[in-house]
Amino acid sequence: MIACRLATDACIPAHLQPAQVLDYARSRDAHDGALLRGTGLAASNGDGLPDASLVSAEQYLRLLANTLRVLDSPDTSFMLGQQLLPGHDGALSHALLQAPSLRDALHTICAGHARLTPLLLPRLQTWDDGAALVWTDSFGAHSLRPALVEMHMTAVVALCRWLGGTRLPWRFTFNRAAPGHVEQHEVHLGGDLRFGCHVDAMLIDARWLDVPWPRGSAPASALALRQAQALLSQPAGLLAALYDYLLERVRVAPTLERTAADFGISPATLKRQLQRHGTHFQAELDQVRTHVALWLFHTRRAGNDAVAQYLGFHDSANFRRSFKRWTGETPTLLRTAMDVARAAVQ
Amino acid sequence: MVYRNAILATAVALATCLVLYATVGIPKPPATWRAMDIVSEGGTALIALVWFAIVLTSRPGGRVTRLLAGGLAAIMLGSWADCLDEFWRIDKAAVWDNCLEALVPAGMAVLTAGLYYWRQEQVRLTEHLQKRERLFREHRAFDRLTQLADATYLREQLRREQAQRPDSHCALVLLDIDGFHRINRDHGRAEGDRVLQAVSHMLLLNLRNDDLLCRYAGDRFAVLMPGLDAAAAGAVALHLCRMVARMRHHAGAQQVMLTLRHACADTRDALAGDDSVAAVLAQLARRVDMAPA
Repeated sequence: MIACRLATDACIPAHLQPAQVLDYARSRDAHDGALLRGTGLAASNGDGLPDASLVSAEQYLRLLANTLRVLDSPDTSFMLGQQLLPGHDGALSHALLQAPSLRDALHTICAGHARLTPLLLPRLQTWDDGAALVWTDSFGAHSLRPALVEMHMTAVVALCRWLGGTRLPWRFTFNRAAPGHVEQHEVHLGGDLRFGCHVDAMLIDARWLDVPWPRGSAPASALALRQAQALLSQPAGLLAALYDYLLERVRVAPTLERTAADFGISPATLKRQLQRHGTHFQAELDQVRTHVALWLFHTRRAGNDAVAQYLGFHDSANFRRSFKRWTGETPTLLRTAMDVARAAVQ
Repeated sequence: MVYRNAILATAVALATCLVLYATVGIPKPPATWRAMDIVSEGGTALIALVWFAIVLTSRPGGRVTRLLAGGLAAIMLGSWADCLDEFWRIDKAAVWDNCLEALVPAGMAVLTAGLYYWRQEQVRLTEHLQKRERLFREHRAFDRLTQLADATYLREQLRREQAQRPDSHCALVLLDIDGFHRINRDHGRAEGDRVLQAVSHMLLLNLRNDDLLCRYAGDRFAVLMPGLDAAAAGAVALHLCRMVARMRHHAGAQQVMLTLRHACADTRDALAGDDSVAAVLAQLARRVDMAPA
């Protein structure tokens, strides 16, 4: 049975990310009343949130939504990202701080995502000459997702820049139209930005993965990771767990019934829970298949036939129709756009 | 509450007036009340009260605020007395009643004096803000930390410049603080904020009145210099970098070295092609990213 957390489960330590958000908002002259409205949280006067308490993803999301609304500034999500990693989570943060290279740091972030980045799921994919960190929703963030993506990408960029001692040549793709505040992306992330790409990902050449980092220490990092073992086994959010599950089985056409059985709940319950997270089974499956198709297009330069076959479609015409339904674009058009972008980079 | 005393005094004065009229005056029969007078005099008092509150809550203290608020308070009290006059008859010989009603013209004089000084103050402020806002005021487009215009405002100004003077030079410089993220990590975000404010002051001091300084985003500043070509702007940018490098910024007991890197372009040349303002900015942003630290 696959364990996971729901958005209403109290599983995020209040003194970690929520406290950071509250602290930042206060430093920008926001009042507790407006920040905590509707979260059900109470902060003692002038202090942070109570140490030992846990908050739910729903409460944390509400706190973030309030913060973004009250501060009403395009740099809020980026500033929150700047301070998100390595975090203050004992051995896990320590392991990240000691990471000997980019590859280790990204592996640690992915392994500890339920603690380090509870709202978004990072997934590291590597191929011959490149690597991508793909971000997907863990709990159903709805309208907050673009801001969360900005925040989490900034967190990884800032951490790697700090630990690696140099600005890495990341490339970014966003599953959104170009925003009005693109200058924030340029400064906090980098200049290589592409919007309207159906996936939130940060890409980098493989040669940067194993460059040793000046302050890293492989033994210290490994030791800290072993000490953080208990934190690493914490269950992920429902949508994060479902994404992992579907990605593993994307070639064998997973069904709602089978998935529910593997999660140890009835299909009706799974349906209801997904609905509460603002989504449904088919949408999640389509998202995973879109990501896999894009990945194959990008890394293997695969054609429609090959991708259709990989994803278990009867023929490529069928796949083309489905892809158009998922993304609003035909695969050929999207591949051409990718080639243009690739040529521009080189 | 800074103005608690002023508000308290006004409330007491209003109540005293009411008590005075009610005790000394002879009530007029309701049949002789003139509705039109009551509404217009009472309304004047009420509106003056609202203005009084707006002035007190929206302005910092000082002479101008005291004059504006004092004038409005006098107008309000005078109108209030006028209005109460409609309900109670006061002996024509009573001096205090006439004095109260004379508060309206007196208040107007005080208000006028306040407006005169306010105008002077405004001229000073405009001079002070010139390098920050350049001929156009839009309060939403300002960064709260540095009080500088933001990137949206910069893009707006670039479009204006292009539309109004497509043939003259207009240089744009982007400036990044080297290793700003380390200052935030090592000394905390509050120190980073102070660095941004200090650098913005240093830059402002070294610009012409026609230049516009913006906080583009994060630790990146933009300077728009109408009339300068790329070479002249490059010289200005180097000077700005040297001035910032000579600053002594102290984070607690520790001294922090501040250096800038820059990239500049003549927007006339860049915009003469088909490039949009956004594309020009994006290209310059990539160049400053690659500038040697």
